[in-house]
Amino acid sequence: MLNTILYLVLVGIAEGMFLWLVAAGLSLTFGVLRVLNFAHGSLFMLGAYVAFSLVKISGGNFWIALAIAPLVLAIVGMGMEVFFFRRIYDLDMSFQLLLTFSFVLMLEDIVKFVWGPLYQTSPIPPALTGTASILGVSFPHYYFFILVVGSAVGLGLWLFIERTKWGKVVQATASDREMSSAVGVKVPQLYTGVFMLGAWLAGLGGILSVPIRSLSPGLGEYVIIEAFVVTVIGGLGSLKGAFIGALLIGIFHTFGVMYLPVFELAIAYITMAIVLIIRPWGIFGVREA
Amino acid sequence: MKREKKKGMNRREFLKAGAGALALGTAVAGGLSFPAIARAKLKDPIKIACQGVHSGPLGNNGEFMRQGALLAVEEINAKGGILGSKIEFLFRDDENKVDIAIKNARYFVTTWGADFLIGIDSSGVALAVGQVMPELNKILIVTHGSTNKYNEDIVYKNKIKQCFRSSIPLYLDGIGGAFVAKDFPFKRWAGIVCDYEYGHTSWKLFKHTLKSMRPEVEFVSESLAKLGTVDFSSHIAKVLTANPEAIYAVNWGGDLVALIKQSSVYKLYEKIGVWLGTMGGAMDVLTGLGREYPKGLWGTTRYWFLYPDTPRNKAFVGDYHKRWNIYPSHNSECAYAAIYMIKHAVEKAKSLELDSLIAAMEGMPLDRPAGPCYIRKEDHQAVYSPPWGQVIHDPKYPMPILTNLKVFPVDKLYRHPPFPPIE
Repeated sequence: MLNTILYLVLVGIAEGMFLWLVAAGLSLTFGVLRVLNFAHGSLFMLGAYVAFSLVKISGGNFWIALAIAPLVLAIVGMGMEVFFFRRIYDLDMSFQLLLTFSFVLMLEDIVKFVWGPLYQTSPIPPALTGTASILGVSFPHYYFFILVVGSAVGLGLWLFIERTKWGKVVQATASDREMSSAVGVKVPQLYTGVFMLGAWLAGLGGILSVPIRSLSPGLGEYVIIEAFVVTVIGGLGSLKGAFIGALLIGIFHTFGVMYLPVFELAIAYITMAIVLIIRPWGIFGVREA
Repeated sequence: MKREKKKGMNRREFLKAGAGALALGTAVAGGLSFPAIARAKLKDPIKIACQGVHSGPLGNNGEFMRQGALLAVEEINAKGGILGSKIEFLFRDDENKVDIAIKNARYFVTTWGADFLIGIDSSGVALAVGQVMPELNKILIVTHGSTNKYNEDIVYKNKIKQCFRSSIPLYLDGIGGAFVAKDFPFKRWAGIVCDYEYGHTSWKLFKHTLKSMRPEVEFVSESLAKLGTVDFSSHIAKVLTANPEAIYAVNWGGDLVALIKQSSVYKLYEKIGVWLGTMGGAMDVLTGLGREYPKGLWGTTRYWFLYPDTPRNKAFVGDYHKRWNIYPSHNSECAYAAIYMIKHAVEKAKSLELDSLIAAMEGMPLDRPAGPCYIRKEDHQAVYSPPWGQVIHDPKYPMPILTNLKVFPVDKLYRHPPFPPIE
C-alpha cells in the first residue's frame, strides 16, 4: 500500500514536471510582458520537432539536440517578439489574443508543411532506458531525469529572479514599466530577452517530451490548455505558483485516475474552480488593486 | 482576336448543329427504342464529397482517406468514368468536430451539389451526420468511424436508409480481440481504454466475448484515458498496481503511439505476458513508432496492406505506393472501397435516384483490396474480415509490419440483427 502511494506520488510528480516546463515559460511571459501567449504550446511543439530533426541529423544524439533545440526556439522567440509582439503591448487585449492565436494556426501549418502529418517519435537516449529502485519502487530513469531537469529549471529561475541583478530589473519592470524605463532600464531589450527565455523553456519542454510522446501537428493545443490551468491555479505570472500548481495537478491527476476515475477529466478544472472561488488571484498570485 | 464573320454556316458549326440534332433525336427516341444510349449519361460529372480529420494531431487520418479516395477517382475517370460520367471529387477537413462536419455535409449537398458523401473518422461525428442524412437525402458511406451504433441503431433500428459504411465496426476490436486473447493461458486481464464510445463499447464486447469462452478469466483493472492524452503515466501506473498478466488497450492514432512508447519506458511489457492494442496495426501507428515498436505486441487495423495475398490487393498496394509514396492505411482502403461501392451501385441501378441506389447497394458484393466483402442488407454494413497480427521488424519495409495473422470468419466476428443489447 505504502509502495503504491509512493509510486503514484512519483508518477504524479513526473507528470507535473512536464506541465511545469510548459507553464514556466507561459507564466514568465505573462508576468513580465503581460501577454498571455497562447502560441506558447505551439513553440513547445516546434521545439519538439526541431529536436526530433536534430536527433535524426546527429545520428541519434539526444544530448546535442537538448543543447541546440531550445536555443533555436529562443531565436524564433526573438523574431516573434521583435517583429510582432512588440507592436501590441499597448493595444487592447483582443489584439493579443488574435495575434497569439494566429501564431497557433501558422505554426501548426508550418510544422505540417515541413514535417508532414504523420506521427513521429525518437528513441530514449540509451543512458536513460533503465529503471531505478527507491524504497522498493522501480521507476524509469527517464522520469527521474525529467524530475531533475524540472527541479533544476525551477531552482535556476528562482535564483535568477531573486538573486541576480538582472532578476531584480525584470521584477521591477514587471511591476512598473514606466518607472524602470525612467531609471534607465532598456525595456524593449528586456522584453525581448524575457520572451526569448520563455521560448527557450518551451523548446526545452518540447525536446524532453520527444522520446516519450508522439509528435503531431496540433500537439501545441493539447499542452497549452493544461499549462494554462496550472498557471491560473498558481497565480498568473507567478513562477512559484506555476511550479506548485503543476505538481499539484500532476499528483491530483494520478490519484484521481487511480481512485476517482470518473472525475479524471474534471480534476484539473475542479481544482481550478475551487482555487478561483477561494483565491481568485491564484495560490501565489498577487491581488490586483 | 475578333472572330471572322461569315455568311451561312461554316463546316464546324454545321457539324455542331448536326450533332445536336442527332443527340436530340436520340434522346426523344431513346425513351422508346434506344434506352441504353439515352441513359448513357446520368449526370456529368457525378459529384462525390469526402470529409475527415485533416488538421491537428489526428490529421494524417484525413490525408490517408483523401489519398485512397482520390486514387479510386483517378482510376475510374481514366477508364471513362461511371457509365460515361466523370467523377468530380471534393475533400474538406471536418476537424473531428460535429458542428463543422454537419456544416460541411450541408454545403456538399445544397451548395456544391454532391450526389454522394463519404468519409468521417470519429464515431461521434458519424452518428451526428448520419442523423441529418434523411434531410439531405443523399447516400453517406462512412469509411472509418467505427461505433456499432451507426449500423445497429441509425440504420437497423431507426431505419435511416441513406447511411452505409465500408469499414468494419469495432466488432474487430472487441470481439476479434477476445478471439485472439482466448488462446493465451492468462487469467488476469486489465484494460487501458479510451474514454469515449469507441473505447467503452470495444472493452465491453471484449470482456463479454472473452468471458463467454473463458469463464475463469478475471478483469483486474481498467483505466479510462481521454482523447488527446499525451501522458499515460497515471494510467500505466494504475493497471500495473493490479498486477495483470495481460493487457487489452483500446486506442488509436497518436494516443496509441504515446501509450505504447510510455509503456516501454515503464517496463510494462516485461511484467505482462501479452499486449493487445486494438488499432496497433494501423499504418500511422506503425510509421509513428518505427523501430520503437516493441516486437511481439498484438494489434489490428481495418485493412492490412499485406492481406489478403491476392493480385487485386497487390495491384492496389503497388498503385497506391506509386501514387503517394507510402503504404496504404485502413483509411486509404476503406475510402477507396467506398468510391468503388458507389461505382458498382450506380452501374447496377443505372440511375442516381436514391431508392434505386439503396436497393442496388443492399446485399451487393464488393470487390475490394481487403478481400471478399458484401453490404449487409439489414444494417448497410460492409462485411469482411481484416486480420489481427503480431508486430515484427522486417528490413524489407520502412516500418514494422504484422505477422502471425489471425483472421476470423465473419459470422463469428460480426454482431448480427436483431443486435441484442451488449451485456
